[in-house]
Amino acid sequence: MTWAGKGKVAVAGIGFSALTRRSEQHLGKLAFDAANAALVDAGLEASQVDGLATYIMGGTGRDGVDSVSADYFLKHYTLSPDFRWYAELQQGMIASAVIEGANAIISGMANYVLVWRAMHNPPDRPYTQVTARTAQGDSQFSLPYGQSAVYQWHAMAYQRYLHEYGAKRESMAALAVNSRRNANMNERAYFRDTPMSEEDYLNSRFIAEPLCLFDCDIPIEGCAAFVLTSAERARDLKNPPAFIASVAQNTARNRPAMISYILDDYMACGATLAGQLWGDSGLGPRDMGAAQLYDGFSPSTYYWLEAAGFCDKGEAHAFVQNGRIAIEGEMPVNTFGGSLSEGRLHGMGHLAEAALQVTGRAGPRQVADCNASCAIDGSPLLRGSGVVFTSEP
Amino acid sequence: MTVEPERALPAVTDLTRPFWEAANDGRLAIQRCQPCGYYNHPPKPLCDRCQSGDLKFEDVSGHGTVWSFTVMHQKSIAGFQDSVPYVTALVELDEQKHLLLVTNLPGVDASDVKVGMHVTISFQRLSDEIALPQFVAAPS
Repeated sequence: MTWAGKGKVAVAGIGFSALTRRSEQHLGKLAFDAANAALVDAGLEASQVDGLATYIMGGTGRDGVDSVSADYFLKHYTLSPDFRWYAELQQGMIASAVIEGANAIISGMANYVLVWRAMHNPPDRPYTQVTARTAQGDSQFSLPYGQSAVYQWHAMAYQRYLHEYGAKRESMAALAVNSRRNANMNERAYFRDTPMSEEDYLNSRFIAEPLCLFDCDIPIEGCAAFVLTSAERARDLKNPPAFIASVAQNTARNRPAMISYILDDYMACGATLAGQLWGDSGLGPRDMGAAQLYDGFSPSTYYWLEAAGFCDKGEAHAFVQNGRIAIEGEMPVNTFGGSLSEGRLHGMGHLAEAALQVTGRAGPRQVADCNASCAIDGSPLLRGSGVVFTSEP
Repeated sequence: MTVEPERALPAVTDLTRPFWEAANDGRLAIQRCQPCGYYNHPPKPLCDRCQSGDLKFEDVSGHGTVWSFTVMHQKSIAGFQDSVPYVTALVELDEQKHLLLVTNLPGVDASDVKVGMHVTISFQRLSDEIALPQFVAAPS
């Protein structure tokens, strides 16, 4: 089947709060900063917003402090008197909120949907710290061995990748350095003023071998927000619309019983998702002016490059070399710096950049003649979601 | 690696008790689906492959190969801060593709761990009730 929404919905406004390592502000305030910026970008008023969608995995309960729910916006933000719809997703990835919002607009449930994802980075609770004294559930088969942090599971999959394809961890320097170079051209990026060389990457300390520090995204405090509306309405607004050509989400289904993040199923999950993105949009990887591929941990970008057909299976480590993925290269990747160098926004940065690139608004990072760009989030080791944006519907 | 006292111990439940009882007895037993023969690990209320609830724990050979591994450097996990860097590995049991168990490969130096190396089961006592299955290098 084919999604019936091609070209019917657009991102009309994009906004960010300040992205900092720690913030003096409550997260709720940062979310409203991002929402306000997105509305200004679109030339809309908050009182026109009649739909809300967010992805809220990882919140620990204090709404407006640890996370920002739809309920928080409903209680504290100015919305349309005709407000009628919201979605608050615990599963999937951030593009899932865009997908929900797009479908709400197509079905007539809402005219202007605000989508956001707010990330908290408290100094007293590093997100990888494991303090449990008992190993509950499935973790009783891993935590007593000191295996628990999400990056340890990614490291296992990555080690297996290196083994299966004869790849070297040193090859990842090209991807990490490219992302940093792009972030140095991105005024909102956490690492905008910090260059990084191949030597810097190779000399960084290990986190869980083969993953080093610069294979991990930089946790930040902040929020990104979009305004979605119909293609028709979007054309009358302040900035050019980024039309949604296709959307997809999928989960790795055949992964073995051991805890997630096993390498073997990433092609099945990712290729199905990408097949829907390409099939519904009528476009393919070679039509993308730029690809924004999730990099919470850098190997996920390899997996997406392969699963989405930018290169063959097992070839991503070679594909990213020699400037091919640079902004001026043949297949620009993570033109905004990725989560590695812009900051950990769980895929919102990827979506924002794809929309900015197709509307010619990426400033010094602009890829020439970028008429289509995809943002694919998550990791196909586990699950993912994606959107293809185009400059024309 | 030494066992630090604050390490998290398994919260044994009805579902997982046969695994830990066998381990305490020096045996590696994995939950197996009786109708379809599929091994499920960690144990499941229903078989991952055929959804049957007819599941029993059966002793396995204890032989396998290292499917992958990582060397942990972060002092992030209670009970393991003083152990870094330490190895965790996934061992694929000979009985079934992707039947994976976590281990620390005690006695194997981090620089000697290789994907595909042959390993065999041993047990590390953590408490009166808990003996932790640990794979060690198989005699060559």
